[in-house]
Amino acid sequence: MVRHRAHTETGYAIVKSFRRAVLALGVTGFVAAVLRLRGSGGVPPQSGGWRELTGPELR
Amino acid sequence: MHAAVLGVGAVGARVVRQLLSSPEVEAVTVADRDPARAAAVRRSVGEPARVLAGDFGGSWADAADVVVLALDAGWHADLARDLVATGTSVVSTSSSLRDVEGLLALGPMAEELAVNVVVGAGMAPGMSCLLAAHAASRFDQVDEIHVARMGAGGPACAREHHRALHSDSPAWRDGEWTESRGGTGRELSWFPDPVGALDCYRAALPDPLLLHRAFPDVARLSARLAATRRDRFTATLPMLRRPHPEGRIGAIRVEVRGSRDGASEVTVYGAIDRPAVAAGTVGALSAVWLAQGRAFGPGAAGLAGSFAPAPFLVELARRGVKGAVFEGTPVS
Repeated sequence: MVRHRAHTETGYAIVKSFRRAVLALGVTGFVAAVLRLRGSGGVPPQSGGWRELTGPELR
Repeated sequence: MHAAVLGVGAVGARVVRQLLSSPEVEAVTVADRDPARAAAVRRSVGEPARVLAGDFGGSWADAADVVVLALDAGWHADLARDLVATGTSVVSTSSSLRDVEGLLALGPMAEELAVNVVVGAGMAPGMSCLLAAHAASRFDQVDEIHVARMGAGGPACAREHHRALHSDSPAWRDGEWTESRGGTGRELSWFPDPVGALDCYRAALPDPLLLHRAFPDVARLSARLAATRRDRFTATLPMLRRPHPEGRIGAIRVEVRGSRDGASEVTVYGAIDRPAVAAGTVGALSAVWLAQGRAFGPGAAGLAGSFAPAPFLVELARRGVKGAVFEGTPVS
C-alpha cells in the first residue's frame, strides 16, 4: 500500500512538470506569434543613404 | 608662385600634377631620394619645362615660396623646422602621429617668423578635418567628432597604416587625453557606397590632435581605422609582404554630434577616392592657398585650423575630390 502511494506521488510530480513545460512553451509560442504577426516587416528604405555634397550645402 | 615638392611617390607625383594644373604655379621643383623617380615624374607631366629637378641633399627648396613634404613618415618635423627657419611655408602630407606632434610643436616658431605649417594635408587627416569643420559650422554647439578611415595611398602610407594598428591610439575624452591599445574598440562604420559597412578599430591616428587644436571645446574626439581580422592579427609582426605600389579605393567618414536650435543633431559626412589622389589634391591646393595668402594666420595647424572649409571643399570638388553627406534612412 505504501509502495503504491509513493509511485502515485512520483507520477503526479512528473505530470506537473510536464504541464508546466507545455504551458511555458505555449506562452513562448504565443508571445512569439504575436510579435511576429504584429511586425509587418516594413518596406525597405526608398530614400536616404549617401549623396554628393552640392553647392548650396558648401556655403 | 614657385613650389617645391620633396618625395614623388604615389602622393608626391599627384601633388606635382595638381600644382601644374593650377595657373598660379609658374614652376615646381621636384626632389626625391631616387633621382630616377624624380626624372620619371618630370617626363610624365604635360609641361616638363615647368618642372625643375632638385638636388635632394642640397638646395632643392631655395627658390620655393611653398614646400610640400610628401616623403616617408619620420622626417617631416626635422625638415619642416629647417624650412621654417629660412622663412618658408610648409605643407606636410604625413599621417604619422609622431610627425604631426613634431610639426604642431613648430607653431610658436612659425608664428614668430610669420610663416605657415599646414599639418596632415591628406585624405585623413586633411579632408576629414575640412569635413569636420564644415559640419561643425552648422551646429550651435559641437559635443563630439568621430573620424573613421579605410584604405592607404602608396607603400609608405600602407606601412604607416600597419604601424598605427599596433600603436597606442589617442582620443580626447571629457577634458583629457586617453590612450588605448591600437586594434581594440571595434565599431561598425558605414562609409559612402560602394565601400559600405566595415569594422573599424582604434589606431595611432593624428586626427584627434589636429581637431582638438581647431575645436578645443569639443568633449570627445576619436579616430578609427578600418581593418580586417588578418590586419589585426599581423599588426604586431613585420609586414609579411611588400605593400602594393598604390592602394585601392579608400574612404573617410566624419560624424559630428551636437545641438542646433536646442535639439540634438548628428551630421555625417564622408568621401571616397584613391587616398593618394585625394591626398595629392589636398596637398597641392593647400600649397596654392598658402601662396595666395588664404590661410587664417601664421603658425602650425591642420586643415581645419588653416583654411575656410567650405570654399576649400568647393575647390576640391571642382578638382574631382568630392564630399558626400549621409541623409539617414526613414524610420517608419
